[in-house]
Parts: sequence; structure tokens; C-alpha cells
Amino acid sequence: MNNFYPVNDYGPLMPGLVMAGVAIVHVFLAQFAVGGGLLLCYFQWLAMTGRSETARIFVNGYFRILVLISFVLGALTGVGIWFTSIQVSAPTIGQMVFNFHWVWATEWTFFCLEVVAGYCFYRYHTQLSDRTNLTLLILYAFAAWMSLFWINGILSWQLTPGDWLASRSLIDGFLNPGFWPSLLFRTIVCMTLASLIGCIVVNVIPSLDRTQRQELINRAAHLMIPMLAMPVLGVWYLLTMPDDSRGWVLGGSPAMMLFFMISVGASLAIGSYALIGLWMQKLYINGATATLLLFMAFGATAGGEFVREGSRKPYTIRHVMYSNGIRPDEVADLRIRGCVTDDPYPVVHEKDLPNDTVTVGAKVFRKQCAVCHTIDGSNAVVHLTASWDEDQMRMNIAKLQQTKPFMPPFAGTAQELESLVQYILWVESGRPSSWAQGMNPETVSQISRWLDEAGTEPAEARSIR
Amino acid sequence: MNQMFPIGFEGPLAFYLVVYVLTLVVHVFLMAYVLAGSLWLAWVTVFPKATAGSIHGEIPRTKHPAARILRDWLPFALSGAITAGVAPLLFIQILYQQQFYTANVLLGWRWMVVIPVLVMAFYLLYIMKSKIISQWSLGIRIGLSICVAGSFLFVAFCWTTNHLLSLNASQWPVAYETGDAVQSLPALSLRLATWITGTFPAMGVLMSWQLRGMKSRTDSWRDVASDVNWLTLIEDEDRRIAWVSLAAMIASLILAFCYFLTLPEEVRSNLTGTAGILWIAVLLSSSGVMITGLIRQRRSHTGSKSWLIAVTGALFVQLTAAASLREIIRLTQADLSAVVQSTKAAAEIGGLVMFLVFTVLNAGLIAFCLWLVRRKQAP
Repeated sequence: MNNFYPVNDYGPLMPGLVMAGVAIVHVFLAQFAVGGGLLLCYFQWLAMTGRSETARIFVNGYFRILVLISFVLGALTGVGIWFTSIQVSAPTIGQMVFNFHWVWATEWTFFCLEVVAGYCFYRYHTQLSDRTNLTLLILYAFAAWMSLFWINGILSWQLTPGDWLASRSLIDGFLNPGFWPSLLFRTIVCMTLASLIGCIVVNVIPSLDRTQRQELINRAAHLMIPMLAMPVLGVWYLLTMPDDSRGWVLGGSPAMMLFFMISVGASLAIGSYALIGLWMQKLYINGATATLLLFMAFGATAGGEFVREGSRKPYTIRHVMYSNGIRPDEVADLRIRGCVTDDPYPVVHEKDLPNDTVTVGAKVFRKQCAVCHTIDGSNAVVHLTASWDEDQMRMNIAKLQQTKPFMPPFAGTAQELESLVQYILWVESGRPSSWAQGMNPETVSQISRWLDEAGTEPAEARSIR
Repeated sequence: MNQMFPIGFEGPLAFYLVVYVLTLVVHVFLMAYVLAGSLWLAWVTVFPKATAGSIHGEIPRTKHPAARILRDWLPFALSGAITAGVAPLLFIQILYQQQFYTANVLLGWRWMVVIPVLVMAFYLLYIMKSKIISQWSLGIRIGLSICVAGSFLFVAFCWTTNHLLSLNASQWPVAYETGDAVQSLPALSLRLATWITGTFPAMGVLMSWQLRGMKSRTDSWRDVASDVNWLTLIEDEDRRIAWVSLAAMIASLILAFCYFLTLPEEVRSNLTGTAGILWIAVLLSSSGVMITGLIRQRRSHTGSKSWLIAVTGALFVQLTAAASLREIIRLTQADLSAVVQSTKAAAEIGGLVMFLVFTVLNAGLIAFCLWLVRRKQAP
């Protein structure tokens, strides 16, 4: 039963959407936790050096928010991301864990430090000296940032594995080409989020008057100044991306470009407001505006994460694994052996399917398509292929990596491909109770020829050659 | 399986098993505190029978030392349990990737729901800790405490279901088709009951330490009782918890034996053969030490520190033995050659030295944090 995992049907939701939902929320909260630590260190320092007595009130209020949001939601959505990844693509997360389990274990030791330092501050800060409090906050912030450091190496490796592909060295994989720009960019995002949430907190602390609020808001805005470096870091990151991935983001894929522009636009708006309004003109910002800016930051995070996930296509781990969990070096073998020949799992509601051909097609769909598509829900195959005639559908799927370069090559036999076509047509026809059984040998031969013409390599590899 | 667990296995497999079991024990200890603690809180909220002896009249159980400590520490304990759970969750993916992932996917939403349930329970724990709750009606407080305990019981149920499903590879296609995740209700019930009752001794031991600490912090009880009464109350509570722990541990051992009887013949013979017999002996002898210690604690008026240390040590030995036996059961039902192969390949991946270096560094920093707090310099 090796290499076969059951695949769940989430109705109209494609698994990728479920993953995106959990991932975006977690990334947002985790980045807030990292930035929050840095902001608290800054404000504790302001308070203890006499630069701002009001900052002390803020530190106490803000840390409570940080604990309630980050320690609870942040920690649990982190576990949730692991569970969701398993649901969506068990082979992908399995490969990541296998390659980087000691990195993850190292990150875990920093989680432990983060929790202990955080709770020590949370529980005892009123009984401790300023200096001790600052020490605890620095340790908390350090541990939180280090957790970003470790996970960033794993995530950036997925898109830019770099020399790891040849050397299989952990260091090469971890310090991959995308590592540093991604780490620095994310650090700035963390500081920005913490700063915006800080502005909201300042507005809800009842004991502060308007002057004190304005002072704290302007201080909090200092953490947004590094946003000035974002364009440079963004360009650096884009330059480290593979050519084809960068191509999707910069116009090759309308959806990806749209999300990229949302992310850039929202960041630009927040940055401009922070720099011109809060830092240079020392403007006041009320809770509603701060919340609005935070929503924009959420949009920017969501857009950025969508682009990061999407630009890896057709891979989940570049040159190692396709989105559907199939490895590039397995495709040639699966073209001969078949991708569902050894699949032990029946199709749910199999009795509702009209014949064996359609049943095999449903299994092929489950194995190769279901991670990114539904049959007739969101990103539905039936809708995407609606304008194709039968032969066109056969050819386009057989030459899938050429039809759409962000798709992986079809990894199955000609018979399986024909079964998939029959399954799609059967659903498109309203799932009738009877459907023609059997396959035309000439059709299968033609599909075989198309498969041979397309080859087993992804489009990017062929274009490079 | 003719090798003794884990030292009889090949190096990489033995190594990952040891790391997994040790990290699991830490997680189980904290998880046990949370589960048994929330059940204890629910019990005293539903049955707040008062005890005579307060300067302000009778003190309801919800204001007794144990309930106070639990309300105060459960959020942190849950945070600790979740954080400690990350490490075994990582190593299980090296050891039993196919089994763990398949069970996860087969349970689908029914598995994923543990996350929102835990989030809800987490926030409810903070509400139970807050001062505002004392203004709420008894009905709401009862509802909250039952909801929290019920949430943790539900998570325990999900984990047990997941674990048992992961062991039974031949049933996976059927489970996928029918959606029926529970193959044997008696096995599920017995295993779940074994773990639930087994959580009380762990909670009891940690609580005993906390009660000892509370004796010296007079500021924590000034509002409800005189010093003498409160000290008496703490000692009574310590003995009551020792009694509950004792009863629960004996129940857990009986339930574990019943669960043993439901296991396939091959698994039973491995447990009583070379692989497991030593661990059974360790489990029983550590249980013996705990029983003796808990009885002495129950009889004692002041509580013996040396016996508490012995019981604490025995508890960790007992948990390690139980976790080891759990792995022998799993390895018997898994494809052992595949597990050997995957751990061998995983051992060739670099990073272990880095992990050890940062473990030492961060353990030092954690100790430093605790030292800072213990010093408690005046502001």
C-alpha cells in the first residue's frame, strides 16, 4: 500500500483552498508574534530609559493581547497547518519532514524557549525589575524570530532548492537562494503587523489620553520604517525565483499577477501612510483606521502567500515533487505501469458510477487532479475543459505540460487518460445512469502517440533544453 | 519481533524510537495534567460540597487550593502540552509516516476539528481563570467547566481513534469507503479509558508539588481562610488527590490488562516476549513504587518530600514504560522492514549536531529565564 494515500473530497472546496485558508491565518498570526516581540523590547526600553513612561502601560496591555492571540491561535494554527498539509498533500509534507526534521526539531527548541520566556514575563513582570523584564522580552523576541528563521529556510527551499538538488546537503537546502531575501522581507512584514496591531491596542487602552496615544502611535510607527527596504528586497526575491515562476507572477498567470498586485498595492498604501503620515507628519491614527490598515496588511499577506504557493507550479517542491505528489522521475514508469493500478482505495459511492471505465477515470482524477481541482466545484475540471471537444480534451491532457506550462505532465497510461476523459464527459453530461463501456483501440493509440510526443518532462525543462 | 525494545533494533530505528518515546513522555505528562485537571475542575464545579473550617464560613470546593491552582496554571499547562507535543508529532512522521498520514486523511474533518476544539478550550480556560467568572451564575460556570473537560475528552477520543485506525492497515480501504473510523468499539473504549484514568496520577504528582509551594505563599489564601485552616485544607487536599490518583492508577492498570486481552495474539506474544517483558516489569515495579508512595502520602499529615520525589521519579519511569509498550504494539502491526528502511534513510540526513547544540543552548536559556524569575528582583 506504499505511496498511496486516500484522497478526501471536500465538496465544492478544492483541498488547496483549505490549505490556503489555514496557512494565511497562521502566517499572519505567527508574523504578528515575531514582530510583537520586537515591538515590546523597543517599548520596554523606552519605558526603562525614561524616554516614555506611557510605554510601560502599553507593554502590559500589548503582551496580554500577544499571549491571547499568538500563544493560543498562533500555536494551534501551526499544528493545524501540519494537519492540513497532510490532508492536502501527504507526500509533500512527508518529503519536507524527511529532509528537514532536524531543522524542525531545532525550531521546536526555540518554541520551548519562546513559551517559557513569554510566560515568565506574562506572569511575573510586575514583580521583576525593568532590566529583568527587558531580558525576558529580548529572549522571547529572539526565540520568536528564530522560529521564523528556521521555517523560512524550509519554505523557501520548496521554490528555490538551489544547489541542494545536486548536493543533497542540508546547508545547501536550508540556505537556498531565496532564503535571505525571504527572511529579511518577512522580518519587515512582522514588524509592520506588530506596529499596526500596536496602534489598535493604543486606541483601546482606556487609561491613556490623546497626547499619550499619539506619542505611542508615533513610536510604534518606527517599526514600519524598514518598509522602505521592501521594494529592494522584493526585487531581490524575484530575481532568485526560477525564470518560469517569475514569469507567472509578472504577467504569465493573470490570477497570480492579480494577487501579486494586491500584495504590492496594499503594502505600498500602508508604507506610504506610515512613513508620510505617522513618521514624518506625526499624525494621529484612530482605532478604525488602524484596523483598516491591518485588514490591508492581511490582504497583502494573503496575496503574498498565494503568490508564494502558486509560483511553485507545477511543483510543490521544485524538481522534486509535482503538485499532485508525483515525482518527476516516476512519470515514465507510471506511463507504463499505470497510476491507479495499485490504488487500494475504492471510489466513494462507486455504485453510482455507470461502468469500470468511468470508475478508473474517477480514480485517475483523484490521484492526479484532486489536489488543485474539483470535478465540478471550485477550479472545476468540467468547467475548465467545457469548450474542448473530445479529441481536443484527449490531446490537451496528453500534452498537459504544453497545454498549460504550470501543469505537470500526465502520469498514467493511455487507457487511464481515456478513462479520465470519459469521467469528465460523464460528469459534464449530468451523470447519466448508463454510459458507453469500452475503449476504441484507435483512440487509445492516438493518445499514446500524443503522450510520446509530449514526453515525460515538465515544460520548463523542455524549454531550457 | 525477537529483539528487546528498543536496544535490540537497528541503530537508526532504535535512536528515533528513543527520541520519540522521550519527547512523547514529556507531552503526555503535561497533557495528563490538562485532561485530569479539567476533569477535576468540572467535578468540583458540579459538586461544590463545602468544607467547614473557614473564618468566613464554609469554603466551596471551587475555592479549594487545587481548584485555584488548576484555574491559574491550566492555560500555561495547555500551552506547554501543545508545544511539547510538536516534537513527538515530528518524529512520528519519520517513524510511521504511512500509518499516521493515512489515519489522518481517513478521519478527514473529524480529525481536523481537534484544532478549533482546542482553540475554544484554550480561550475558555482563560475565561475560567479571569476574575469576571465569579460574577456569573453557577449554571454558566458548570457549563463552562463541563465544556472545557468535554473538549479535552473529545480530543483524547480523536487521538485514540486516529491511533487505532493507523494500526489497522488492512481496514483502511473499508474505512475509506464506509467512513467508519472505529473498527472495534471495545478496544477503543478500553484504550481510551486506560489513558484517561492514567492521567490522574500525573496530575496528582504535579499538584502535590504545587500544593507544597502554595503552603509558603501566604498571599494566595489570605482572602478565604486563616493560616491554620488553610494549611489544614492544603494537607487535606493533598491527601484527597493522592487517594484519587491511587484509585485511578489501579483502575488504569486493570483497564490496560483488559485492553491487552483485546489485542491480536501476535501482539500479545511480543508484549510478553523478549520485546516487551522487561517493560512490563518496569511498568509494574514503578507502579508499585507509586502505590506505596501515594499510600504514605495519604496517611501522612505533612506529606513526605522524599516520597514525593520517589513517586515523581516512578511516574516518569512508568510513563516511559507505557509509551514503550505502546510502540511495541504499533511496531508489531506495522511493516517493520519499511520502518527500518525509512529511519535508516532519515538518519543519513544531516542536522542532528545542530539540533543538539541548540537544545543545550535553549535549555540553558530556559533555565536562565526560570532563574531570573526565581530571583524576583523588586521593580
